[in-house]
Amino acid sequence: MSGADALLAMGDSALASLARGDAEVIISDTRSELTRFASNEIHQSVAERFRHIRVRLIDGGRTGVGEVRGHDGRAIELAFAAAEDSRRVTAATEVSPLPAPSPEDRDLPVAFAEATAAATPEERAELVAVVTDAAGAGGVNAYGALSTSTTTTAIVTSAGLRRSATSTQASLVSVARGDDGGGYASRHSADIAALDVTGLAAEVVDTCERNQGATAIDPGDYEVILSPYAVTDLLEHLAWVGFSALAVQEHRSFMHLGEKLMSDMITIRDDARTSEVFPFPFDDEGVSTQPVTLIDHGVCSAVVYDTPTALQDGVTSTGHSLPQPNTWGPLPRHVAMDAGGTPWREMAGTVSRGLYITRFWYVRDVHPLRTVITGMTREGTFLIENGAITRPVKDLRFTQSIVEALANVVQVSRERRLELGEGESGVLSPWLHIGRFSFTS
Amino acid sequence: MQRLTVKNGVVASVEVFEDEGIGIRVIAGGAWGFAGVDDLSPASIEETARHAVTIARASSRVNRNPVRLAPAPALVGEFRTPVLRDPFEISLDEKVDLLMRTDAAMSGLAEIRIRECSLEFGREIKHFASSEGARLDQTIIESGGGMDATATSDDEVQTRSFPNSFGRHQVRAGWEAIEAFDLPGNAGRIAEEAVALLTAAECPAGTMTVILDATQAALQVHESCGHPTELDRVLGHEAAYAGTSFLTPDLLGKFRYGSEQVTMTADSTRAPGLGTFGWDDEGVAAQRSVLVDQGLFTGYLSSRETAAAIGQVSNGCMRADGWSRLPIIRMTNINLEPGTSSLEEMIATTEHGVYLETNRSWSIDDRRLNFQFGTQNGWEIIDGKRVRLVRNPIYSGQTPEFWGSCDAVAGSAEWQMFGVVNCGKGQPSQLMHVGHGAAPCRFRNVRVEPAR
Repeated sequence: MSGADALLAMGDSALASLARGDAEVIISDTRSELTRFASNEIHQSVAERFRHIRVRLIDGGRTGVGEVRGHDGRAIELAFAAAEDSRRVTAATEVSPLPAPSPEDRDLPVAFAEATAAATPEERAELVAVVTDAAGAGGVNAYGALSTSTTTTAIVTSAGLRRSATSTQASLVSVARGDDGGGYASRHSADIAALDVTGLAAEVVDTCERNQGATAIDPGDYEVILSPYAVTDLLEHLAWVGFSALAVQEHRSFMHLGEKLMSDMITIRDDARTSEVFPFPFDDEGVSTQPVTLIDHGVCSAVVYDTPTALQDGVTSTGHSLPQPNTWGPLPRHVAMDAGGTPWREMAGTVSRGLYITRFWYVRDVHPLRTVITGMTREGTFLIENGAITRPVKDLRFTQSIVEALANVVQVSRERRLELGEGESGVLSPWLHIGRFSFTS
Repeated sequence: MQRLTVKNGVVASVEVFEDEGIGIRVIAGGAWGFAGVDDLSPASIEETARHAVTIARASSRVNRNPVRLAPAPALVGEFRTPVLRDPFEISLDEKVDLLMRTDAAMSGLAEIRIRECSLEFGREIKHFASSEGARLDQTIIESGGGMDATATSDDEVQTRSFPNSFGRHQVRAGWEAIEAFDLPGNAGRIAEEAVALLTAAECPAGTMTVILDATQAALQVHESCGHPTELDRVLGHEAAYAGTSFLTPDLLGKFRYGSEQVTMTADSTRAPGLGTFGWDDEGVAAQRSVLVDQGLFTGYLSSRETAAAIGQVSNGCMRADGWSRLPIIRMTNINLEPGTSSLEEMIATTEHGVYLETNRSWSIDDRRLNFQFGTQNGWEIIDGKRVRLVRNPIYSGQTPEFWGSCDAVAGSAEWQMFGVVNCGKGQPSQLMHVGHGAAPCRFRNVRVEPAR
């Protein structure tokens, strides 16, 4: 029996003893390892392995949740008992029904690679050495982490739904630092064998070498070219504050469906089925995740739903639920911006004076309804003069409405990169040339 | 752990979470290895220990410099968070009843679209043993709770929170702490303030005097003193993620971090902070260290390995957020020590400025110098009086200049221990609960503006 089948069988067995009401059992087995390096040496290398069980019981309009992390044979019983304890004290209310299985719940893609599942500490150390050796050869120091993870998830419900999937992820993130400045690069894939480690090493050392001896410039409004690392922050924060049906229902989202708020060049989707953004077949209710076009050529097109918000609006769930019940609402976790037509290396050619931003750091929502965020530039902020990147400048703080920035897009690159946002979801982003971006200090 | 949430008059969720496992940290071949597992059978534990050794040996093939640890005594003992009423002895019904009463007290105003309140309780039983001979048993109990009232209009959304924002105020104490919060007694006021903010004037812009309430002062301490004094950041261990620090070792004992009003300590002995314990996760005893002494930078948060790198011994700041994660340097209770002023006196002696309450947004650069914070509300002060409520305030600055402009800190009567429950650091990311004692404090010549 495969790992997924064993978890499904465990869920079946638990549901077989359900005396009354409805139940949902989510079981996941995770094996995650990470090798971390600093100053061209491995200073932390870790592994963890655990089983997580979440049980939701619904009876008489009352819902209870019990969660247990542990491999003990009693773990699932403990989770059921905890769920019943909590169910008992909740007031009866209108409860969203457990989703029924759908005929299309099959053959959906999932990000998995055997090489990642089988990766060893020795292999990770060897790949890390590619980066630290390149940094050493360049006379700089490399810092970063290479992680591999494998997760098998199974969802079984009393409504007849049975879903399972095994996914993998490999991520390499690196900063290189010289005497007076640094660079950043990352690569992510389901398959550790497909990680372009050599490309990352070259990129991070190159950015670091070009970013030495930065000088200060005045804050103010600048034309900018944002690399995909920076664009990912904009997209992730839009997803958090506005792309959820609950945010719209609660009048706290910028999304006014049918209104054109951004440039014609901007189309943003959530697509859990594309091989480019860690595909995964279903959400935390076991509903198949549908592709959704969120922004269509600048127009607010759609938001994502889970079962409770779909019931509220009289529609069906798009399969974007977080574990139920929750107060946060649904969330798109496979966001991608459509590519444009300009090769990214040609984008600076039309900028007479502006900034190239490698990445942002510590980005926070200042006014969610207005999509105003603040943050710093980090590890690679360069001045563009007369169509060419000329010199590094010291990091700046920006405070900027994302929607306004995306309304002022001048060019979208042909190429895109997969980056992990701060929430660790994959985001597929192009380079963006934006006409005006506000730096405040 | 128990987590209970009521939203808009409905019990949105009651969750009970249990977690059990072992983490094994080894030095082999001069390098660290760590492995954690939730299967506590002898065979599994042995396999996990072997895997930790395999990981360490793989790292040692790349490394040139073996790990060196500062000496520390191997201790034996027991610690238990002192509580008057164990929160796990209080029934779920009583907890739900408290939240429903809080929710009801927030209701009644048409503009309040979202009411949310929650309670969270944790009990961690931790056994620590080392090959050096340490044997330590700890039982840590936490209690937390809070509420948010969100008002909306066609073009504005405003939230007020109590006792702190981002979900809750949390301490290492029992049910008595929740009772002291008096959530129902503050709910009506919070809802009214959220509605008032919808039509309040935008915060004035300019360089002016800023008075922070104790909750915002606590977060300012967290971001601009707690993080930059973490010695692993200083040594580059976090350079690829959390960042580094402007407080380099050459500045220790020489650098003027703030004004003479500013004394900051790391104190893991001070109840009821979220950084209060018996021993850290290397077995080093809880203690008090002075980080900033009347404005002078004097100390770091350290571990046995990082302390050795600067010729010191650990001051006990190694903490993991659970058995499955490696201990790393974390804040304990990082406190702004009380001064001699009071909020009333600070306002009365301010010609023009703003009094800012309750954090809304926070951001600071990777060396912990350039910061910008937003708060849920502000009160404009003119000629020593609060004259009007203002919305969407943000203030910004550079850490040493900002703390250097601090001219008053309120005294012990207004000093309170707060907690941060979402402090992220490390790869894989760990969320730590840390404590901050703080009181209202005043700063001169600060850049203030509305969020636009």
